[in-house]
Amino acid sequence: MINENLVNNVVAEPYKYGFVTDIETEKISKGLDEGVIRLISQKKEEPKYLLDFRLNAFKKWQKMQEPDWANLGYKKIDYQDIIYYSAPKQKEKVSSLDEVDPKLLETFDKLGIPLTEQKRLTNVAVDAVFDSVSIATTYKEQLAEHGVIFCSISEAVKEHPELIEKYLGSVVPASDNYFAALNSAVFSDGSFVYIPKDVKCPMDLSSYFRINSGDSGQFERTLIIAEESSSVSYLEGCTAPMFDTNTLHAAVVELIALDNASIKYSTVQNWYAGNENGVGGIFNFVTKRGKCLGKKSKISWSQVETGSAITWKYPSCLLIGEESVGEFYSVALTNNLQKADTGTKMIHIGAKTKSTIVSKGISAGQSNNSYRGLVKMGSKANGSRNYSQCDSMLIGDQASANTFPYINSQQPNSEVEHEASTCRISEDQLFYLQSRGIEFEEAVSMMVSGFCRDVFNQLPMEFAAEADKLLALKLEGSVG
Amino acid sequence: MQVKMKGKEPLLEISNLYASTENLTILKGVDITVKPGEIHAIMGRNGCGKSTLSKIIAGHPSYKINQGQIKFNGTNIESLEPEERAQSGIFLGFQYPIEIPGVSNLEFLRVATNARRKFLKKDELDTFEFEDLVKEKLELVKMDSAFLERSINQGFSGGEKKRNEILQMALLEPQIAILDETDSGLDIDALRIVASGIKKIANQETGTILITHYQRLLEEIKPNFVHVMANGQIIKTGGSELALELEKYGYEWTDEMNKNI
Amino acid sequence: MHILDYITKEKVNLLTRSSKIQDFCTSKLRAHPLPKKQNETWRLANKKKLSALLAYEFDIKSSDPDIPPYLSNKKAINIWIGNTNQLNLKEKNWEIKELKSQEIDDLIEEKLKSSNTEENWSNLLNLSLSSEKNILGIKISGDNLPPLQIFCSSKSNYFNSKTLILFIDKNTKANILQVNSGAKNSSLSLSTYIFLEEKSKVNHGVISSGNDKSNILNSLNIKQNANTDYNLGSIQFQYDFARFEIDVNQIEGNAKTKIKGMQVSNNDEQNGTFSKVEFNGPNGYLDQLNKSLANDKSHSIFDGSIIVPKTAQKTDASQLSRNLLLSNTAKIDTKPQLEIIADDVKCKHGATISELNKDELFYMRSRGLTFAEASKLQLKSYYQEIIDSIPVLEQRIEFLDHLLN
Repeated sequence: MINENLVNNVVAEPYKYGFVTDIETEKISKGLDEGVIRLISQKKEEPKYLLDFRLNAFKKWQKMQEPDWANLGYKKIDYQDIIYYSAPKQKEKVSSLDEVDPKLLETFDKLGIPLTEQKRLTNVAVDAVFDSVSIATTYKEQLAEHGVIFCSISEAVKEHPELIEKYLGSVVPASDNYFAALNSAVFSDGSFVYIPKDVKCPMDLSSYFRINSGDSGQFERTLIIAEESSSVSYLEGCTAPMFDTNTLHAAVVELIALDNASIKYSTVQNWYAGNENGVGGIFNFVTKRGKCLGKKSKISWSQVETGSAITWKYPSCLLIGEESVGEFYSVALTNNLQKADTGTKMIHIGAKTKSTIVSKGISAGQSNNSYRGLVKMGSKANGSRNYSQCDSMLIGDQASANTFPYINSQQPNSEVEHEASTCRISEDQLFYLQSRGIEFEEAVSMMVSGFCRDVFNQLPMEFAAEADKLLALKLEGSVG
Repeated sequence: MQVKMKGKEPLLEISNLYASTENLTILKGVDITVKPGEIHAIMGRNGCGKSTLSKIIAGHPSYKINQGQIKFNGTNIESLEPEERAQSGIFLGFQYPIEIPGVSNLEFLRVATNARRKFLKKDELDTFEFEDLVKEKLELVKMDSAFLERSINQGFSGGEKKRNEILQMALLEPQIAILDETDSGLDIDALRIVASGIKKIANQETGTILITHYQRLLEEIKPNFVHVMANGQIIKTGGSELALELEKYGYEWTDEMNKNI
Repeated sequence: MHILDYITKEKVNLLTRSSKIQDFCTSKLRAHPLPKKQNETWRLANKKKLSALLAYEFDIKSSDPDIPPYLSNKKAINIWIGNTNQLNLKEKNWEIKELKSQEIDDLIEEKLKSSNTEENWSNLLNLSLSSEKNILGIKISGDNLPPLQIFCSSKSNYFNSKTLILFIDKNTKANILQVNSGAKNSSLSLSTYIFLEEKSKVNHGVISSGNDKSNILNSLNIKQNANTDYNLGSIQFQYDFARFEIDVNQIEGNAKTKIKGMQVSNNDEQNGTFSKVEFNGPNGYLDQLNKSLANDKSHSIFDGSIIVPKTAQKTDASQLSRNLLLSNTAKIDTKPQLEIIADDVKCKHGATISELNKDELFYMRSRGLTFAEASKLQLKSYYQEIIDSIPVLEQRIEFLDHLLN
């Protein structure tokens, strides 16, 4: 038998990004009512249409009930015990990086996301979000030369109101679900991307979300619009300090792809997952959805989920345009008492639409890892196809893996195919690698990363390396 | 530490070895000594304990040594992990090399080679240096470099799997190689390729144990010693002529001998 | 009187037999007369059709229709649930004996106790209505048994309820075919409980065929002890509303289960299969295939879960849901589910929804077959696999013809 303890040690790696930045912040006191929403809107100097959007969402949220169907079973959240706005104190208007608090720059430095001109990453533009606000966006000017808009959503609200008014909430309406409604009411900041017609975005765009404050929730909002025949690759990263309380993260991401446009959205999620006894960690309830509005448009989600105490996340595609393509590639690793309920929805509406789902779940410790998915073939989705593959790997006999694929078809001339399997690391495979001189932990890590290969191949280069490293980190530890 | 006289001290010394799996005793007192430069053949029927012996030498966790010992370069290896044995120069060519989906053959070979090189205090090879080395070794087993891009043994034919084993042997440069039924499932051309690979890798400093139940491989590689194994014991040891006798008279002959023990 | 009024109005008590179990079930139903909203397996149930199913008067008497020619089997012993004849057959190597009502109660109670999930609504409804007249329990022992055919039917304009308990003795090998037929405008609630004692083997067939506006709630509960083999071949067709619930529990693992089922829906029928297979010990085996065929405006549902707790190491389970959608207005929902805690297991499931293979159709048509002939050939092969796994059935060709026409 494989030594279970050994394997378990291998997957228990301390969290590297658990530090707190000591910085003065401006917070709105705990609790949520209409006044708080008006205050957030006022602090952000928002136009009236946005305040109306928020208030409308808040009304809807009040009437909704928190869902309990996901396989999560977490402690009830007290929504009046959360701070809905927290921003590091700095000068009214920051016009250049020189004016940003050095402590903030240092924080992102430590996270491996240097922002200053000398050190910034060479081929990726970064929007850095700290608690409720965007700190800085790199390469803005260079991108502007191509007509690409990349800025914080707060800025876009002021600078590009026509785009925001047209598209905000057009993919994920405020009434969509409980957490989307909450986000629509209180969202603080996030990234905005606009790629004009015929433009291939010259570099990868990236947002980095950092939760710093322990009792404030994070409610960011991302909106990406790809006009006809444009394309963009967008990366998202996240970390948070170690607190022994749970922090709520309820984001909304909306993507819109017009004719022949393509959006690739990659996430490496490494929120703090709580300790080995399940204390602390982020509650991650996120609504991510893309609308393939145009003909032959394409939206591809890829995600590596390693963090969060609880994850509730289903990046989805609405395939409306003819021949549009939706993809979902996911690796979710859970350990200790983590719970992840993640998957995707592929809603085929237009004809000849195609979707691919590849999900790899790895559960270790006493964690619970569920794939939940929906593939729907609408009555007009003539000639559409879906292929899904969901594999689970279990490490140790305390972890559980569930698969809940859900398929609904009303279109005979369409094909849906789903396959799922569950496996463990086999003793013979381990022995084979060991008998060639490969250390136990490296052998486990090789096999886990081999198990995830199909998904890693979909990640952008820089991210693939990071994801591999991250898994290896989680898998590294004191053997013996 | 013993002072070793190169070429004279045994590489591998198995004495009075008893071993079991799931309370079933499989080896019942095996003795074999292999010195540098020697080629040994172990022959016997299916189920006589040949493969078990090879797995125990490599440290398979399913088997337990109940009595006796295995010394490699004068040190008892019972407490060593399989990877430590491999790094120190013990190589097992598997009868049924396992498929490991998703794990790239090239990466696997590089990590394994570097683990061995590290033990030998040689510099570890970077991706480019390793590719040069592996291409050179590919020649030995007449394999195409496309093999490297695939997952370990996945979708390989029987012959390709065996050649991949010999390729690994060539890269790891073991002191002692135990090749378990490396000839089974090979056509005559593939057998020649594999045999010539083995011969090129073996030298005066290394020892080789060929486990087989056919004479075929031994026509290609002439052993110095042939051991006949039955019911968990070596029942007869001789020179290469013993293999011919076995071929001629079949294993019933050994059954008879077994009764007489 | 509406069937639910019958149960929920305390004063009404026309039932001849009153047992602890019946009281228990009735009280549960009185608290929740309908399936609970949160129950996922009822989410897609057509509410109108469900109320139509319940909108009949209850009757213990049922009509026993003639055995259709495709079910004739001269060697078989034919048994009707609801027929009061005392059953006691004994030969040298085998015995079929009717169970006493106390024995029946004990077995059902054992089953109710062992299930750790909430009570199944269909069974509660069924057991609430059980009386000596509509409940049949038999104990089967021995080897070389003749095939058994057990018939169950409903009467036009009534709601009928039947309960069948089969106790399969140690080392017994039995071939049993259940034939359920629904009369026009009728509803049938059938709950079957099969207890497989150690080292027994059952080949079980279930053919449920409806008629104009007939409904069925068919609940099959299997309890497998160690070293048992249970093979099911089932087909369900021509019901306005049909629901087949299969609940298999391998109580100690170390058992084999094979399920091959098929459901066919036409017009605006709703036909569903809901299976749950639970492994409560190691080395369990499951091979499940569910096929569905949806035509016209019908709705076909498959919901299958496989539950592998920590104790069920070395479970080998596979489940496949194959669905054919034959019209633009039909709808198929399929939801295969795996819930796994044990780590040393081999589990896989799959689902496909498609139409008839176009290349195959084209190939056959290019050889001169008409579209209709070619599709019929394809459907035949689609059915064949299931029909072949229905035991006792001798007239397979006739049965297939009956299905295809």
